[in-house]
Amino acid sequence: MALAKSNQQSRWRSHEAGLLLILMLEWLCFALTGARFATLDNTFDLLRHSVEIGLLALAMTPVILTGGIDLSVGSLLALCAILFGKIWRDAQQPIWIAAAGAIGFGALGGALNATLITRLRLPALIVTLATFSLFRGLAEAITHGVDTFTGFPQSFLRLGQGQWLGLPAQAPLFLIVSIGIWLLVHWTTFGRSWRAIGFATEGARYAGLRVERRVAMTYVLSGVIAGLAAIIYTSRLGQAKADAGTGYEFLAITAVVLGGTSIFGGAGSVHGTLLGIAAIAVLGNGLVHARQPREVAGMLTGALLILALSLPALASRFIGTNSIEPRMNP
Amino acid sequence: MKPLQYLYFAALLAIVGCGKTSPNTGSTSPQEKKLTIALMPKSKGNGYFISCKKGADRAAKEFGVDLIFDGPTDPDPAKQNEIIENWITLGVDAIAAACENKDAISTALRKARAKGIKVITYDSDAAPDARDFFVNQATPEGIANALMDEAARLCGNEGEFAIITASLTAANMNEWQKYIEIRRSSNFPNLKMVALRPCDDLKDRAQAEATALLSANPNLKLIMAICSPAVPGAAEAVKQAGKAGKVKVIGLGLPSENRRYVKEGVTDTVILWRTEDLGYLTVCAARALATGSLKPTDHNFKAGALGEFAVQGDNILLGKPFLFNKDNIDQFDF
Repeated sequence: MALAKSNQQSRWRSHEAGLLLILMLEWLCFALTGARFATLDNTFDLLRHSVEIGLLALAMTPVILTGGIDLSVGSLLALCAILFGKIWRDAQQPIWIAAAGAIGFGALGGALNATLITRLRLPALIVTLATFSLFRGLAEAITHGVDTFTGFPQSFLRLGQGQWLGLPAQAPLFLIVSIGIWLLVHWTTFGRSWRAIGFATEGARYAGLRVERRVAMTYVLSGVIAGLAAIIYTSRLGQAKADAGTGYEFLAITAVVLGGTSIFGGAGSVHGTLLGIAAIAVLGNGLVHARQPREVAGMLTGALLILALSLPALASRFIGTNSIEPRMNP
Repeated sequence: MKPLQYLYFAALLAIVGCGKTSPNTGSTSPQEKKLTIALMPKSKGNGYFISCKKGADRAAKEFGVDLIFDGPTDPDPAKQNEIIENWITLGVDAIAAACENKDAISTALRKARAKGIKVITYDSDAAPDARDFFVNQATPEGIANALMDEAARLCGNEGEFAIITASLTAANMNEWQKYIEIRRSSNFPNLKMVALRPCDDLKDRAQAEATALLSANPNLKLIMAICSPAVPGAAEAVKQAGKAGKVKVIGLGLPSENRRYVKEGVTDTVILWRTEDLGYLTVCAARALATGSLKPTDHNFKAGALGEFAVQGDNILLGKPFLFNKDNIDQFDF
């Protein structure tokens, strides 16, 4: 079993190499077809627009590593954005209290998912499908679907729209979260236990891991990050409305799976997820620069996912080498 | 070993993928002096905006501008902003947008203006400081006058009529209703409004309200529906009551939703604006703004084949609403 696992890990590692090549290829194609694509300005645009989905995908990685899924993150983002607006405008609190509130409610939402999944042993897919509707429904009920929070102070809007040392202002935050989750997944016992749980839940339990507690942690983390993403989203758009983040959960899951994390859990990496986000974001942005219709992006993202997932199988079939040298995990 | 194999595939893909797209680079660079105008609908699949695009394409062809038409295909409110920010980086000369979320999109449009890109809104406005001009398809007064004049014509300037509105609190509805009353009292004093009923923007409610109106007011000559679901709703009620032709139906709505009733002779007139003209005028104005021939102080604006349009402050007025009836409704597919 030890051999099988390290085989798998090296396969995933070359998956990331393949994804990196696809990404470079995308970049090259769009740099050739779009005159302003390969500029610093555009790279920063790309970064700015990917931060919220990027954050959700980063937090989704541990969830999927344990073999779970969180469909509620887009809806939770909307709910947190609405509560953020509520605390600031209606309760007349300063922005930082509203921000703390949004993250707090994100944690609460995540804790609700975690409780239902680990205490009641309900399937994550069903639980988060329910909270997917519940959170969005709450956001709509609070605002009656029409109330929009806007008119935030300039100092707050700078977080989403301004620059910091020439970079988009939200970029450092994204970097910190990326490094934090990367360390958590790859360099701590948490990361190892998440992978072990995804690989064989019962095995992990027999090995003495507190499976429920470790799994619960991933959903709470996912909720906290959804709250953080809500703040950045609100700042970037300058408005909070109940339809915020529609469809983000699927983009986040796509990025994670494209990045090589197994949907059954047990294997995957945070840098893979980052590459996955980049591949999707570059595709969407590059097509605008290449003057191609936007709806092509959806088609190509799907094609990219199929390609990235089938490439290892195709490669070994066509080139005829299926020798995968076992390599040890760092 | 392994990454090398990917490299082969990557190279293969590069040949297939880039081979097709790279010739575009050659064809766009010599035309760089051509103006590029980016036109954004509220949502891309909407028939209303597709018909706007028809007019926009005509204008783009006539004036030799490069037209980009793109907009959200899903309900994510951040999409309009992202596309606009992409256009800013792309370096378009002018942006014309129909705004889904006024406050959100204004952020991106202000950024475009700061970068020297001319910004126009059409159909639905952004914050005034986020754009140079708003192409206003219909003023409340224009809509009210068209509705009231048409009602008077159909009723022969006398008799009873009723109005079905969306809700008694909706700001735009109340504005229209105010001007309808001004027009009625000054031009058609013999016409009498006997009822004003809300339908919550629902067709079913509108049908129920219309049925109640018909039985409560036997002398009713006309029902005026001023929200779009109410027009087919009222028509269905009149039809089921067997009063088609005796009680006229007019209203504000889309030709496609009312075509059936107009052809059956239940609904007489549907009032809206010519969406193709809206698209045409928007592109003309964006182009004129980018070339400097349209200035903030202008009082009128000549838009190619469509002729002169009035400019009120920073609003370019499309002018009188258009009346769709049995004779012309088949020419419109939105």
